[in-house]
This record gives sequence, structure tokens and C-alpha cells, in this order.
Amino acid sequence: MRLDKLWVVAKKDLAEFRTNKYVMYSILLMPLMLATVLPVIYLSAFVMMPPATQALDVGNEGISMEIIDQVVVNGTYEDTSFLRCELRDVVASNCRFEASNLTNCLVRDSYIGNSTLNGSALFHSNYQGLTTSGSTLSGSVDVSGVNEDIEFLKQFISFLLIFFIMIPVVLPTVMASYSFVGEKLNRSLEPLLATPTTDSELLLGKAAAIFIPCMLATWLSFIPFTIIVDFMVSGILGYAPLPDPVWIIGVFIIAPLFCIMSICLNVIISSKVNDVRASQQLGSLVVLPLVVFFIVALAGVFTLGPEIMLLLSGAVLLVDLAIIYFSLKTFQRESILVRWK
Amino acid sequence: MIELRDLTRRFNGNVAVDSLNLTIEDGKVFGFIGPNGAGKTTTIRMITTLISPTSGTVHVNGLDASDPEEALQIRSHVGLLPEIPGLYETLSAYRNLDFYAALYGVPIDRRKDRIKELLEMLEIWDRRDDIVGKFSKGMKQKIAIARALVHEPELLFLDEPTSGLDPEAALTVRNFLLELKKEGRTIFLNTHNLDDAERLCDTVGVMRTRLLAKGSPSELSQQFWGRTTVVHLHSISPAMISGVRGLSGVTGVQQDGDHLLVDVTDPASVNPDIVRELVRQGGQVESVNELKRSLEDVYLRLLGGGK
Ligand SMILES: Nc1ncnc2c1ncn2[C@@H]1O[C@H](COP(=O)(O)OP(=O)(O)O)[C@@H](O)[C@H]1O
Ligand SMILES: [Mg+2]
Repeated sequence: MRLDKLWVVAKKDLAEFRTNKYVMYSILLMPLMLATVLPVIYLSAFVMMPPATQALDVGNEGISMEIIDQVVVNGTYEDTSFLRCELRDVVASNCRFEASNLTNCLVRDSYIGNSTLNGSALFHSNYQGLTTSGSTLSGSVDVSGVNEDIEFLKQFISFLLIFFIMIPVVLPTVMASYSFVGEKLNRSLEPLLATPTTDSELLLGKAAAIFIPCMLATWLSFIPFTIIVDFMVSGILGYAPLPDPVWIIGVFIIAPLFCIMSICLNVIISSKVNDVRASQQLGSLVVLPLVVFFIVALAGVFTLGPEIMLLLSGAVLLVDLAIIYFSLKTFQRESILVRWK
Repeated sequence: MIELRDLTRRFNGNVAVDSLNLTIEDGKVFGFIGPNGAGKTTTIRMITTLISPTSGTVHVNGLDASDPEEALQIRSHVGLLPEIPGLYETLSAYRNLDFYAALYGVPIDRRKDRIKELLEMLEIWDRRDDIVGKFSKGMKQKIAIARALVHEPELLFLDEPTSGLDPEAALTVRNFLLELKKEGRTIFLNTHNLDDAERLCDTVGVMRTRLLAKGSPSELSQQFWGRTTVVHLHSISPAMISGVRGLSGVTGVQQDGDHLLVDVTDPASVNPDIVRELVRQGGQVESVNELKRSLEDVYLRLLGGGK
């Protein structure tokens, strides 16, 4: 394997890509759309929603007493946790109530979950799953809604990761169709194969000419994407969500692995197809399983944590090795001239 | 030197090249002629290590084409002009050649001079920066020829270099090939054009899956017809014919108007006897020549297409 020859081949292909307006459009417009325009449009929907209320800071970390399955009448309580209690005429602050009934009570700076309030008053508290009758809730927040919104936004942001898989998978289908099917139709492979280069130098040179611009486009567009996402949602989430380990693994390990897979698959497709467009369409079919996987993942079968991402990287790497093997088998002098259709 | 031994190639059971034995010496121009589908391109591809034989061996300069390492060396010694030029249409002529020069390992400081030299010889140096896609068929062919020569290969393989070109382009290409021949390069030429073969080639092989005949164009014609002396007379009498027929060394006599066609074994010794006999019979000899049969006659006879 001589890297200088590989690079000569890659430079020639890159020079050809520069003269191909379809390749240039794809490589500029696709990342622009997927990494900037679409995220701005989607995230605007979140930003323009009524400002999401956040859970109040009611400072009830310091629970010092727990009361379970009791009837509590009269009294003033602080820093107490009530579980399945009947409370009447109680004044409480900095407490937690779970699955309890409160009648004629006064509660402040507390949390009430899955309980009922009758003729009571709640000030500056968080609640969730509350049934009320003849009660006032003042300055309090339904935290169930807060969490749902936040969770949805977080999920949505991880959904955008699929764009950074799509860019390095779809761009090679366009570029490989010109680089491999194009050279085949143009009959320029024969003189190329007559040079003192090995099959693998030619294949890797041509693959590098696709891999490098595709990954550059992916990684460069990740910068504005991160800025846009952080700028738009950190006000809602209270922190800047990107980059995080899931994204780092996704963009810097999984995306290039998928890019390699796409290039190799397209080499194999090129040997069977005699039309640049057909090759692009077949190549795009490669994207579908990925889309399905990510939608399934995001539907909640998996939660995308760093562990599952590393596991996924390993799986993609294994598939890559198999496909690299087959594409090397496909791209051999003899096969190209005799068996390629 | 190219040596082919029992070279055979099948495609899905169909024989394209059948037990070809051939040796081509350095500095010779070999012409491979034969109809479409005769196996000419397949033979070139096997010699240039693009495809492998089903059986038999290829050696180029002593290197064995079946060994991957040696095949790599063979490829660096040979230049190939394929049937279809296969240039990069969106790149300039210069860029096309520079790419190949780099792949063939021509040192960077030598590349420009070499490309300039070739393009000047082919009269297209002025158009070096133009996109190849804009060129005529003849110009593309010239660039493809330059590409095959950019690394100064010892052996040059040309697959139908003049086919499909307009007469003017074909002429430039033909003259260029004559130049190359003078330089002493070994050339393997596949062609349909028997004129080209006759003019350019030291040796010709007639191919139709098998090698039907091989030799210099004149050897081939002698091989099939023997040698014939043509005597142009003022008038011919039957006595002259029977007199000539009686000479030793004459194998046949035919009259064609005022020409006498005499098949002879050895013109140098028999021709004086013929002239003497004709004069003795009162004939007025205007000229004596050897009958030239064209390569076309040989070709048509071999392939059963003509006389
Ligand atoms: N890749 C191939 N697959 C199947 N048959 C082939 C292939 N290449 C050539 N042939 C067959 O081999 C024979 C010789 O072809 P070729 O060498 O191209 O002839 P020529 O160059 O003399 O016209 C033809 O019958 C052709 O159909
Ligand atoms: Mg041919």
C-alpha cells in the first residue's frame, strides 16, 4: 500500500468533484439544511411556546421526619414527609405529601403528589396529580407538565442526531455514484487499472476522496448546530445541552463509521448499476434502516446513553468490516472489466 | 519482449482466445488483425495484466503476469491506449496527463517537460488548459495516446488507434505512430485498418480466436500464393505461354490481357530465363515486375471472405 499513490487518486477525484455542480450543491446545501435551517425552524416552535415554568425551589431536601398511614389533626409541621395520611386543620411548610388527603389545611413551600385538597390553601409549592375542591393554589407549579416539556425537548434534541448520521450517509451516495458509476460509464477505469497501482490503492484513494469532504461537511456543520441549539434552548433547559458524550460519540465515532459503510455499500452497488441516478436511489435505501433504528430508539425502546452509543459504534464497526471486505472483493481489476454490468 | 505461451481465455465457457503462442521482439511493431470479437482486445488485456488467462502464460520482459508483484512492474513498463479513450471529461488535458504521470511515478520535475513534449508533437499544446469534454474525437484520441506515453513505456499497446477518427485525425495519429516506430519502441497494434497494418507493422498476426497466420505482410502473401512475376508484353502468342510453362522453376502461367502472370519458385534465378524465352519467341517485353498482393487479399483469403 503506497499512500502517495492513494493520495494522487484522491486528489484527482476531488478535482473532479469540484467541477460537478450536483456534488457541490449536495455538499453545501445538505449540511446547511440539516444542521442549521431545520434545527432553527424546529426549535423555534419550542422557544415560541409560552415560557415554560420551572419547578420552584422549595428547599425541601431537609426532610427530618416521616409520617406514614396516619391521621393527623391540628398542628404545625416543618421538614416532614407524609405518606398515605389523612390531614385536617394542619399548617405545613417545607413538607412533602404523597397519596394523602388534606382538608382545611394551609401548605407552603412544599411538594404535594397524587393527593386531594379539600377547602385548603397551597402557596408557593410544587404539585403533581392533584385533585382539588374548594381550595386555592397560589404561586404554585404543576411540575408534571414542566417535566414533560423538558423531557420532550431533550428527546427532540437527541432526535436531531439523526441528521448528523444522514449527512455522512447520503452525501456518499451522491459522490460515489459519480466517482464509481461515472468512471465506469465514461470507461476511464480501464486506463486507470492499467497503471502500476494496486486495486486497494485505487479503491482507498477513491474512498478517501469521498470520506474526507463528507466528514468535513459533517463536522464543520456541527459547530453552527451546537451554537444554534445551545443558544435557543439553554434558556428553557437552564443549561447548554451540547456537546454531550452521546453527541460526541455520535458525531465523531458513529457518523464516520456510517460514512465508511455508505461508501463501501455504494461501491458494491456501482458494480451492478449502470446509471448514476439509479445508483443514488439505491444508495439512499441504505439510509432507511438507519432512520428506522433511530426512530425506534427514540420511541423509547432504548434511551440513548453513552453506553448504548458505544455499543452501537461496536455494532456498526462490525458491519463495516464485513462490508469493507466485500467492497474490496468487488473492486478487483478482473471483476471490474469482466463482471461489472 | 513479449512471450505468450498457450494463452487461452474463456468467458462463461466461450473461448475468446485459444492457445495463442506468440513472441514479439523488442523494437518491433506487431499488428494484430481480425474481425470483431476475434479476441484482440482480450489478448491485450491479458498482456497488460488487466485480466488473467484461463490457462497459459504471459511474460513481458521476463516478468510473469500471473504474479501480482511482477504484474505491477509489467504495468509500469507498458502504456495502453484502450478502445475507448476514457479521459476525465471535466478536467483539462494537462490535468488528465499530469494525473497519469503522477500515478506512473514520473518525477514531479520531469512531468511538465514530458507532457509538453508529447502535446507539442501531437499539436495540441495550445489547448492544454481546455476541458477535455470540449474536444473532438480525434483530439481526445491524441490525448489518450499521450497518456499512454507519458511515462515513456518500453512497450506500447494500441487498441484500434485510428478507428472512428476522421481521415485527417487518422493521418496525424498514423504519422505519429510512424515516429514512435522510428524511436524503436515495441508496439502492439490491434487494428481493423489493413493499410495501417501494412504500413506500420514488421509482423502481422491474423486472429480469429486462434492465431491463423503470422509473418511480415510480404511473407504472408508469399505463404499463400507463392511468388508471381508479371511480364507486360506488347502482344502475347500461345507459343510464348507454352514456352514459359516449359521452363524449370515455373509452376503456373496465366494470361491477363497483355500481362503474363508467371508463378515462380525463385524470381531471381527464373526471371532471366523467362525474359530470354519470351524474346526468343519474338515477344516485346515492356516491363517485368513482382505481383504485389495486399494484406487485404491475405486477410480475406484467410477468413474465407473473398476470392
Ligand atoms: N467481459 C466479457 N464477458 C463475456 N464475454 C466477453 C467479454 N469480453 C469479451 N468477450 C467475448 O470474447 C470475444 C472476444 O472479444 P474481444 O477480445 O473484445 O474481441 P476483439 O477485440 O477482437 O473485437 C467476443 O466473443 C466477446 O463477446
Ligand atoms: Mg476489440
